[in-house]
Amino acid sequence: MFNIEDIQKMLPQRYPFLMIDRILELEEGKKVVAVKNVSVNEEFFGGHFPGNPVMPGALIIEAMAQASIALFYSSESSASDKEKLYLLGTVKVRFLNPVFPGDQLKLTIEPVKIISTGAIVNALAEVNGKEVARGELSFSVK
Amino acid sequence: MPGVEEEIRDLVATIIEKPANEINPDANFFKDLGVDSMMALEILAAIEKKYKISIPEEKLAQLTTLNQTIAVAKEFIK
Repeated sequence: MFNIEDIQKMLPQRYPFLMIDRILELEEGKKVVAVKNVSVNEEFFGGHFPGNPVMPGALIIEAMAQASIALFYSSESSASDKEKLYLLGTVKVRFLNPVFPGDQLKLTIEPVKIISTGAIVNALAEVNGKEVARGELSFSVK
Repeated sequence: MPGVEEEIRDLVATIIEKPANEINPDANFFKDLGVDSMMALEILAAIEKKYKISIPEEKLAQLTTLNQTIAVAKEFIK
């Protein structure tokens, strides 16, 4: 298991844009399982939507992307460090159920292909064992 | 049954968002067809998935035209 200190060694993102809180499983270059605890105090809930808080799908994608960076970081083909710039290339994600305050988002990322300059991954987001989003992301690393 | 050539042409066409019949097989992906490095990686991954093969990263640089891509794929398809 990796805590937030460990995560910050892998990811370039920082407050207020860290979208994973903990990594439960990390199989080098093969699989990562991370969690994001969704709190009502998140600033975006104030506007998305007033009186009806739902986690923006774009931020679920961001959580998937950050977990994917951890996967890339762990893979052998990467010479990863925090100086690297990660840029999303494509996002093909289907949203299946809304995510509300109090939910714990569990993200499972598995590679389709990882090379030294980028990756394509399959991503799954679940809450309590129920799929909330799944899809495929690609990103380049510079 | 379409051959490997047609299958890869269609797969490339989908990824680069161009009609298959408009892709000159010798046109340069990057200079002529607006392909970027991420699309090239997607093409590689799509070929791997379709034919259940694994193509090493070193071969990525050889995917410069449709014909070249087909040639690389054929090296690995049994």
